[in-house]
Parts: sequence; C-alpha cells; structure tokens
Amino acid sequence: MAETAPKLLLGLISPAAPGPLYQQIIEAVKREVASGRLAAGRPLPSFRSLAEELQVSLITVKRAYDELEREGIIYCRQGLGTFIAENGGATARRAQRELARDALRHAIALGREAGLGKKELVQLLRQELEFD
Amino acid sequence: MTVAAIELDHLHKRQGDFVLGPLTLEVPRGLVSALIGPNGAGKTTTLDLLMGMGQADGGQIRILGRDLAEHEVEIKRRTAYVGPEVSYQAWGTVGRAIDFVSGFFPDWDAARCERLVQEFGLKRGEKVSALSFGAKIKLALVMALAREAELMLLDEPTTGLDVGSRRELFAELLAFMKREDRTILISSHQLTDLERFADHYIIIDKGRLIAQGPMDALVDRYQRLDARLRREPPRLEGLRLLERQGDRARFLLDREVAGGLDLAAAGIEVIGEVPLTLEELYLALVQK
Repeated sequence: MAETAPKLLLGLISPAAPGPLYQQIIEAVKREVASGRLAAGRPLPSFRSLAEELQVSLITVKRAYDELEREGIIYCRQGLGTFIAENGGATARRAQRELARDALRHAIALGREAGLGKKELVQLLRQELEFD
Repeated sequence: MTVAAIELDHLHKRQGDFVLGPLTLEVPRGLVSALIGPNGAGKTTTLDLLMGMGQADGGQIRILGRDLAEHEVEIKRRTAYVGPEVSYQAWGTVGRAIDFVSGFFPDWDAARCERLVQEFGLKRGEKVSALSFGAKIKLALVMALAREAELMLLDEPTTGLDVGSRRELFAELLAFMKREDRTILISSHQLTDLERFADHYIIIDKGRLIAQGPMDALVDRYQRLDARLRREPPRLEGLRLLERQGDRARFLLDREVAGGLDLAAAGIEVIGEVPLTLEELYLALVQK
C-alpha cells in the first residue's frame, strides 16, 4: 500500500518555480521515469502522502496523477495504489523528446532572429554538445 | 461516490441586523474546503451553527450523513473544532487543560498529543491565561489533532499565527488528511492564507453564498472584460460593473450565468478578455 511506497525524490516543487504546481509535479515524475530512476511497476506514494510530503493541496497532486495516468506513464489500481506503467519509461522519454524538439525549434527561431544561418546554427549546436 | 461531509439546505439565521443565508451548499468529503469571506460575512455564524452553537431560524444541517438536530452528540464525537470560542483558561495550566479534555475522548492519542505540544512549542507547566493569542490557537489545535476526528472545523485559525506556525499548522492538517475519510473546513478572511492547501472554495459575503467550487472551476467560470460602452449599459444578470471611466468600463462576467449573452446588442463593445487569478476573482466578487 501507499505506506510501503518508497519516498519520491522529486526535486524542488515550489510556487516560486515557473509553471503551476501540478505541472511541476508532472514534469518531475516524467523526469524520474524517463531516466529510469523510477522503473516500471514501482509503487508511487498515494496522492495524499505526496501532498503531505510536498506541502501542496490534495487536488494539486490528484490532478498531476490523473494527467500522468491519462498519458500512460502511471496507473492506479483501486485499493492497491499507484504504479509506474509498463511502458511508462518509453512514454515519458517520448514526451521528453517532444519537449527537446520544441526547445530546439525555439532556439532556431531565436537564432534566425539574430541573423544566424544554418551553418552557424549547426556550429552552435555542436559547440554546446561538446561542452555538455 | 463522493458523499458530502456537510450539507446545508436553506440554512437561515437572523442575528440583529445581520442575516445569514438562506445558505444551500455542500462540503465535499475527503478534501480541504476553505470558507472565505470578508470580516462580517457570516463565517463564524455558519461554523457555530455547524457546532450546534446557537439555533438556526430555518433550514437543515446534515453532517457526516446525519441530521445535526437529531444526532448532535454522535456528530460532535466525530467532529473537532478549533476556534476563538474555546477557552481552556479555567484549568490553569496547559497540562491540566490537556488532561481534562483528553478524558472526554476515548480515541485520544496521548503520544501524538505530546508530540504536538512539543512541535508547537507549548509547555505543560505554562499558564493558559498567559499564552499569546497564537499559542492559544495552537493549544486548541493540539486538542483537535490529538483525536481521531473525521471532520475538523477551524474558525480563522491562521489569525495571530506567524509564518512559521502557519506552516506547521498546514503540515499537520495535510498529515490529518492522509486518511481519505477525513474532511477539513477552514475559514479565513484572507484567501492567500489557504490558497496552496485548499481543494474546494466556498466564498460568502454579507451572509450569502457568492461562489463555490474547486479553484480551476472558479477561475474558468469568471472572466474580466474590458469594454467600450456605446450607451448606458443595462443591468444584466451575470455581468457586474467593476470600474468605469467615461465610456471605458471593466466588468466581471459570470460565464455560467451570462455565457451566451449578446454584449454587443447591449451596447458593450468588448476590447479585452482577461483571465483572473483566484485572488483577483475573490476581490472582484466581494467588492463593495
């Protein structure tokens, strides 16, 4: 049950951070799942426990769990608890990939505005990859 | 299936010039509900009626599925109350007050009580009469949290608490809510106090229900409109004038009531539609 679920280390969830709190929780869980730190079948804390841990309203965590379930990253079993879905890792990585692509598109648009050509943009990306 | 923890049906009470209600509303079970309204809105009167303090002039109160008038003793056994009415002064010290009150409740958890006393920085030997306002609230909270109540009513508990104590309070309330059959109804005249913790909002003003629902639903329901007035605007249900300068006006639109309204036909040319935060909405709703 929820009590035996290991503690989640979700990093900072804060009203001072950008984005609504439930969105921050969704992204934090996705990060953990995409990286494999939360493996398929692993139990998550009940939404009531996580609300207490994060000091946010019950409905905030409920909304995040509902959304994660809709996206196929976690699943809830009445009376048993909430678990990472079988394909949760792949689904979360796909979602992360979309985010990365959007961020790149945004970076390209900014680069174009700054007058950078294709060659310069590729060079910039190479440079960043090397620093990484 | 969601069962309401509290159901008010046309609850009505007259107190001198002040009239509460008729109030019809539900407090959902398993969630934290915030009863919000300016001073004098009727929050304390409502909570007092829920605790059987004072007699309603009409209407019905059902708590935990039972009629309050018929099952008051049972309901009170399952309900904890924190509010300004409670005074433990008569027992002298904090410790004696705790010992006395604990005797009434078979479900009293002495270990939890001691932990709370320590956490809230209270001392058993302290005189109740010498406690600060905040410390008195903390003592009342200890008394409420040491029991296995299903419903907790808190009347403006954050008044007189500093930021740190407020945090401790909410941490304890969220811990209380780990059991899904539990419900909290907490009142405050300040929305910001409860914004991060409440799941459901009940906004009252001048004894009347103004709006209720989860934050998202409330924020979606209302919208601010900036408009140019072609002529004197008629009074329209669901559309409230907030500000006006010449032919420029700012309205609060209740989409549930006035969603399909033809504003252009009423001479109102909408220039901008602005979503509201919960706090802006609250201030607009209770604006004089």
